[in-house]
Amino acid sequence: MEFVVEEGKRVHEECPTLILPALSIGNVGQLAVDLLVSSTAAERVGYLDDLNLLPCVGNDAYGPLPCGDLALPLEVYESSSTAITLAQQRSPVAKGMMIKFAENIAEFAASSGKKDVIVLSSLDFQRLHNLDLSRGPQVYYLSNTESDGRDDHCERLGFGRLGEFDSEGRCWKYLSSVFDKNSKEDLTFPSEDELEDIDYYPSLPFAALFSAFKARGLKVTCLLCYCSEGDNIPDAFLLAEAASKLTGLTPDKFHGEEGGKWRIPYSWKSMYGAPPDMSMF
Amino acid sequence: MEDVLTENPPPSRFFQEDLNNFASPPPEPLPSPFIVFSNPKPELPLKPSLLIIALSSPSLHIFHSLPSKTLIGTLIIPELPFSGNTVEPSLQDKSCNIYSVSDNNNNNNNNNNAVLLVSVQLPVPPERSNLVSRLLVGQDIVPARVIILDSIQSRNFRGRLSPDEALAAKLETSSEKKAAATSRLSLDYFPSGSVIDGLSASLLSRCQLKNIRGTLVVSWPEFDPSVVRFLGALLKSIVPSLDIKSVDKDLEKYSSRTGLKRDAWLDSDLYT
Repeated sequence: MEFVVEEGKRVHEECPTLILPALSIGNVGQLAVDLLVSSTAAERVGYLDDLNLLPCVGNDAYGPLPCGDLALPLEVYESSSTAITLAQQRSPVAKGMMIKFAENIAEFAASSGKKDVIVLSSLDFQRLHNLDLSRGPQVYYLSNTESDGRDDHCERLGFGRLGEFDSEGRCWKYLSSVFDKNSKEDLTFPSEDELEDIDYYPSLPFAALFSAFKARGLKVTCLLCYCSEGDNIPDAFLLAEAASKLTGLTPDKFHGEEGGKWRIPYSWKSMYGAPPDMSMF
Repeated sequence: MEDVLTENPPPSRFFQEDLNNFASPPPEPLPSPFIVFSNPKPELPLKPSLLIIALSSPSLHIFHSLPSKTLIGTLIIPELPFSGNTVEPSLQDKSCNIYSVSDNNNNNNNNNNAVLLVSVQLPVPPERSNLVSRLLVGQDIVPARVIILDSIQSRNFRGRLSPDEALAAKLETSSEKKAAATSRLSLDYFPSGSVIDGLSASLLSRCQLKNIRGTLVVSWPEFDPSVVRFLGALLKSIVPSLDIKSVDKDLEKYSSRTGLKRDAWLDSDLYT
């Protein structure tokens, strides 16, 4: 993976925190990063070029009006006022190459001096076993602070620890071993035909990223929310808000619409396609 | 007429295998694509002043109709068979031929500073696009400027596409945007919120990363004589020495019913 600095831009050295999405149901992580980039007025500073990423291009996603700035599959944004780096991924990873991709992006994070990584992802609502509607939409987390995934700061913020995380589980152990260069365990690649229900969580991209960043000695926190496919904008707001709380971003760091916190990216205007053809009425 | 009630929305979601860390990787690493040149000892990299890459059916028709072009090489993707290809280049071939055309501004007859045309008549798999684009931009060929011609992909387009209404739009690299306005293509930008994927996206990305002037022109419908005429005029404005008269002559053979479709190249595997 090569990091290419955009012409005329420079990388801020004082941005120790990296926020990035994991591909997930409803594209929630990516939508949340869109919100954070747009609302903090983060500036694109470069691109990440990886052979394992499928290609895509588009017009400027953020606006206020798209002026033809080319959008690439994996871009890096920074805001010196927030001291945060945001990476936005717009296309999938080639089939079977997610582990390699996670390894590459962890290498980028480590070599560019990142200390904290926050991965934003969603989970399939059908997998949620204990639904507690009294607490409202719940953000879950997984951290490498403790071996059971627990983190005091996340607990104080009211996030729920992902109870399904089992570091001794077959697939979690495989992920740990494949990224740990010093691992002496020789575990076999879990065939997708052999996967069971308990293997759902470690099979997701956020788990590969979590394990890869952890193996590089970075502090990593995954912020997760359950959702179904549909209008996932509310889920994106939930995760973006959680990320802003976790990183301690104060309201003055945001450049929202009409004095508010959030600015809707221009590209969201056509997220669900063109309006219906009124001629049918 | 398409049924607006049951028309499929643009796919924006993932397949399960896209989200599975344990999806099986390719069984064996495939051999990399490569270019075979007519000249057994070419001076590489070639440095054309302009590289034009045709992926859409209208643009392939134009390239095929151009007289006075010289075949200088072909790009091979090892896993794609070219059984059924003819000795002379044909629109029915599964090939990726590279041609040189004379440019009146070029006093040299070598391929440096020439205009190169690439006719992509292969269905390049998305996961191989990045390797192909590296060959064409930045490795064996280092162009000063790139123009890519593709069709709008309805599956990735968030607006409304009418089969009766032709349209075209562009995306440019930063280097192209900085160039003199008179040298740039006068087209509206592709709307924000829609994306383009595949080889054309990989080629334009490559240009952006390498700080090369690059423009991707996407047109619609995919098979339409009006699009052929439009692209012919566009190419003529970029390379005035291009002889597009024969393009108009062959236009009556080009129609949405009998025109070449990408599926035809895939179907022909059954009969070779």
